[in-house]
Amino acid sequence: MRIFQKTNFNFIKHRRIAYAISLLLLVSGMVSLVVRGLNYGLDFKGGAEVVIRFEKTVDIAMVRSIMKDAGVNGAVKMYGLENTVLLSTDFHGETADLKSMIVSSLGDRLKSNPSEVVSIQAVGPSIAADMKWAALKALLAALVGILLYVGFRFEYKFATAGVVAIFHDVLTVLGLFSLLGGLFDFMPLEVDQGIIAAFLTIAGYSITDTVVVYDRIRERIRGQKPSEYERIFNESMNQTLSRTIITSGTTMLSVLVLFIFAGPAIRGFAFAMFVGILVGTYSSIFVAAPLVFDWQKRSKSPIKLRGA
Amino acid sequence: MKNNRFKLLLIAVVALVSVWSIWPTYRDQQLSSQLAGFRSSEDSLKFTIDHRAEIEQAREKSLKLGLDLRGGMHLVMEVDLFDLIEQKAWNKDARFQQIMANVKSASATSGASPVELLAAEFKRQNIPLSRYFYDIRNTDKEIVDKLDKESQDALVRAKEIIRNRIDQYGVAEPVIQTQGARRLIIELSGVTDENRVRKLLKGTAKLEFKLVKEPEALLRAMESVNAMLSETPGAMAPADSVSSASKPVSPDTVAAGVAAPVRPSGKKLSEVVGVMKNGVVFTPEYARDYVASVLSREDVRARLPQDTELLLAAKPEQTEKGEKYYPIFLVKKSPELTGGVITEAKATFGTESVQPEVSMSMNEEGTSKWARITGANIGKQIAIVLDGAVYSAPVVQSRIPNGNSVINGITSLDEAKDLEIILKAGALPAPVRILEERTVGPSLGSDYIRAGLQSLIWGFTAVAIFMIFYYNKAGIAADLALVLNILIVISVLAGFKASLSLPGIAGIVLTMGMAVDANVLIYERIREELGEGKLLNSAIDAGYNRAFSSILDSHVTTLAAAFLLSQFGVGPIQGFAVTLMIGTGASLFTAIVVTRVIFDLLVGRGFMNEKSFG
Repeated sequence: MRIFQKTNFNFIKHRRIAYAISLLLLVSGMVSLVVRGLNYGLDFKGGAEVVIRFEKTVDIAMVRSIMKDAGVNGAVKMYGLENTVLLSTDFHGETADLKSMIVSSLGDRLKSNPSEVVSIQAVGPSIAADMKWAALKALLAALVGILLYVGFRFEYKFATAGVVAIFHDVLTVLGLFSLLGGLFDFMPLEVDQGIIAAFLTIAGYSITDTVVVYDRIRERIRGQKPSEYERIFNESMNQTLSRTIITSGTTMLSVLVLFIFAGPAIRGFAFAMFVGILVGTYSSIFVAAPLVFDWQKRSKSPIKLRGA
Repeated sequence: MKNNRFKLLLIAVVALVSVWSIWPTYRDQQLSSQLAGFRSSEDSLKFTIDHRAEIEQAREKSLKLGLDLRGGMHLVMEVDLFDLIEQKAWNKDARFQQIMANVKSASATSGASPVELLAAEFKRQNIPLSRYFYDIRNTDKEIVDKLDKESQDALVRAKEIIRNRIDQYGVAEPVIQTQGARRLIIELSGVTDENRVRKLLKGTAKLEFKLVKEPEALLRAMESVNAMLSETPGAMAPADSVSSASKPVSPDTVAAGVAAPVRPSGKKLSEVVGVMKNGVVFTPEYARDYVASVLSREDVRARLPQDTELLLAAKPEQTEKGEKYYPIFLVKKSPELTGGVITEAKATFGTESVQPEVSMSMNEEGTSKWARITGANIGKQIAIVLDGAVYSAPVVQSRIPNGNSVINGITSLDEAKDLEIILKAGALPAPVRILEERTVGPSLGSDYIRAGLQSLIWGFTAVAIFMIFYYNKAGIAADLALVLNILIVISVLAGFKASLSLPGIAGIVLTMGMAVDANVLIYERIREELGEGKLLNSAIDAGYNRAFSSILDSHVTTLAAAFLLSQFGVGPIQGFAVTLMIGTGASLFTAIVVTRVIFDLLVGRGFMNEKSFG
């Protein structure tokens, strides 16, 4: 089977439309980041999360009011199944106290539906700050590493455009998390360690598609005149379009499986990966290569690419 | 063809090693299900005895499940190095306290080690470290080195002591690691009583024997504290009378307090502290936390007579009416003897009561000191202080020559046993705090296992079917390579005794989607070469050669990102990063070498033609 066989899109000619779309995505994401901020998860906010399982289906509003009466501040949400709820609170004391508070209040008020605390996670504020800092460092290190590696394998213009594309991808996903955070009950879209894992994986993966396009450009551009560059860029992108989309497609397929089957703990991660790969594929065609082209047009020297 | 023989051999070896590494996991599963299948317990016991060696071996070498899948506790604890530094300092004055406060607030925003921060603060204030630490002739650098060494030792010692405690408590396969300069990561599986474990780990177990000051001194101290608190209207409203400490709060007022527990935060100290007829100073149960916080205040402690401190009892006592109250003691700050001399501890029941207690014996040095101390203080009280709380304060009846002592005032036998464990394991060099705690119960764990298995099965099915659908026979080759890839990931995990967690499974599923990418790149290239009219063999050749550069680049970047993730992430995230790394690395081999050999074999025998690439 073949799709995208012998396409002939003029990507370079319409690149400004793509730039506009990307800018719109980025700006709306940034505005939302400033206005709405991010919905930090337990890892970065500190506090405690408790998973409570009931014997039968339970009314969330009921649990919410019981918790409120017991003096446990926080949000109560469904956690995957009908009989399981997740309580997130900013509680910072002894987890034993929290647990006994929850167990006794639920035992008193919901005698007909016995419950069990199946998981408690508590993160202190100091370690939460540490984790945030470590995550930022890891992301920066990844970007610098990729910049150096691609710069070494191709040349600095290609590397810079590739890293800009990664920034574009990660920031778009981050913006989306800010825009959609807390809107869906089945996925709260909180930024936690899992999301940072997704960002790093996106950063590593986003460059894959970009490199495939770069590789083809490098193969074909040798010894060509700068006036031919537009044609070569376009042809390269069209020739690699099929594999760019299929490689992303298989990965998105497995991420989709994670989103559906792997349960609520993985759902946010899977969502971030899915969107990240989607945007990453788009950006390698519509952002990275066109940026190199524009940059090349401005600088007078012809492209000198390393490697074979 | 010669080259292929080597590759075939390599693939066979890799596949065999993988199967050999996964075999115990399979056996373990098989044996467990056989065991579960027996109806009577005699049968299963007999089976266990007959196959004991095999069961144990299989279990030991099988793939370990992460805490999230099998249930357990993951803890991150921090050793309080500031406390250690304060312990090492002498001649501590107000200036020193000020410096320490600065250093502590600086550490909240900086990742530097406490010793570095301390040195920087001293430098800023232009004071030599030797004013407070070690010898006056030492240079700053020598002192920093010594403190660094002490800090490192403290972390290692804390780790050893916590390991001892866990071993004695009895947890299968505990994992205890140090992280950075002052953190410990502890993973315990199958813990049922989390609360007990938490206490067991946190207890500093700093045991001290301290002389109790006479009751008049205690009353004077309380008055002076009250007077000071009324002079400085800070957190508290001014007390109305200086003599209020001696104005006894009768047990009736205590009863009223217990019946109507008001938040005591706005109260005066004099209102929640009373004196009994026998001279015992006490606070009712509801006000204990508040009084404890007042007594630990720096300005309050400065007000006390030289080398003394006020301590609360560890456990409440009861009046005849059943009201609970905590006695307050004024003790000499420097201990007569510390827990380091304890060699043996045993939880028992007391002779005259059913109250559990812990009896202790001391080493030679401790025994002789203890004999001298008890001999010199007959008729006086000696407080047995554990982690800053007075467990008991018996009156010395006679000189104790044999080095025996007893901690009583313990409520349950479990608590006595835990005390025994922590006393035997020794005191932590500095207090530890729990920074992070993740507990997963076994029922949620089995949910995660089910979710993980489903994702694996569906992920594989989806990707495998797509590849065959899109690339025909070549897709089958990619799928075979994918199977080997998954085998390699699991066998590497089992072989290196890494555990598989839910994020780890997510990593495997993601790897499946990424591993076939290399094949997609190769196949697309082959299609292209075929489209240009090349023959099958040369098209395959060209496809592998020309796609290699992109494949290498994409694998290197993904590996780099996964590596960084494994460095920064803790616990769950590391599992994901590790499986992603193994899977990506393995796919370089499976997607490039394995599929190539399959093609060569099939094309050579005429099983493939130009149409086999879809």
